[in-house]
Amino acid sequence: MRTHFSRPAFIEGARDMAPITVGMIPFGMVCGVGAVSAGASPVAALAMSMIMFSGAAQIIAAQLLAAGAPFAVIVLSCFVVSLRFLMYSAALAPYLKPVDHRWRELMAFLLTDQSFASTIERFREGSDLRANVSYFIGGGAMLWLAWQLSTIAGILAGAVIPASWQLEFVVPLCFLALLVPLLHERAALIVFATAAVAAIALDAMPMRLSMICAGVAGIAAGVIADRLSARSATTEVGPGN
Amino acid sequence: MSSPTGCRRGARRRRSDLETSQLAIWSLIVVVGAINFLARLSFIALFARREMPPLLARALRHVPAAMLTAIVVPAIVFMAPGVLRLEPGNAKLIAALAAGVVAWRRRNTLLTIGAGMAALWLLQRFVS
Repeated sequence: MRTHFSRPAFIEGARDMAPITVGMIPFGMVCGVGAVSAGASPVAALAMSMIMFSGAAQIIAAQLLAAGAPFAVIVLSCFVVSLRFLMYSAALAPYLKPVDHRWRELMAFLLTDQSFASTIERFREGSDLRANVSYFIGGGAMLWLAWQLSTIAGILAGAVIPASWQLEFVVPLCFLALLVPLLHERAALIVFATAAVAAIALDAMPMRLSMICAGVAGIAAGVIADRLSARSATTEVGPGN
Repeated sequence: MSSPTGCRRGARRRRSDLETSQLAIWSLIVVVGAINFLARLSFIALFARREMPPLLARALRHVPAAMLTAIVVPAIVFMAPGVLRLEPGNAKLIAALAAGVVAWRRRNTLLTIGAGMAALWLLQRFVS
């Protein structure tokens, strides 16, 4: 177990995560505010951040709870949002084969969009696996701790902040900050357009099913767009050969 | 309807609603927490010896853009539940467009949030 830990790399990982953490503070606060306003007790609101540890899932759970959606629909929506973790997990997996299973479990628990994005290059470059694992855990621990503190701040502040500030608008803005940089690819634009039109057109669906359906429509459009562009690429190359 | 028994029944129902919702919230925390953990653990440990099927890999690449859109768009185009406002009079829509430009140019979460909230407050104070 000790063989996988390097203290300097852990500290370096935590330090490098600090600036990213600052950007997550408003999001964590909104998760706290949202959970409480959806009816969760302060303890449950904090438990959401400690156990789910996923802003997207927490916000969706809070919004759907507040909208009175059935339990199964909330779970299904959170499940679709968590599918991206499969992708991160698969991308990290080849580098972690030699790592002890307890460390892998800890890394899985701390795996987020931010920790994946900020460490995957290190794993690809290889070199010192022990240091890379410690770096990942350092950054993940930093983010986890900051997430709890900002959730607590949100739980405490939620009762004080006047409704006229429209703090809940921070949620779409957080997601917008993640979404916009993805849109430089043509396939991503097709995904965006499809999901956007579907989200508006399907809004009247019962049980707040529109979110899952719009998401699935967007994913399907992306897969079809990939396939069509692959086919047109081969036909373009075809005559030249 | 305004009889004392009616009131008491209403209060009792409200209290039991609150209790079920606490139970629902804790069940959600456990179930969604487990789903999140298992999704994160999936290829790192559970199916460490398997390759991801290619179609699944291609589909998963589109999950972030699709789900982010499905969350963001309804939050900015509907003024109230079911009230679609795709027009300049919708302050949230204009504020989100401003935030989107900042997100595109600067790729910074805090600046994006700051720009969007500032735009929303200004529009609501001076325009409407």
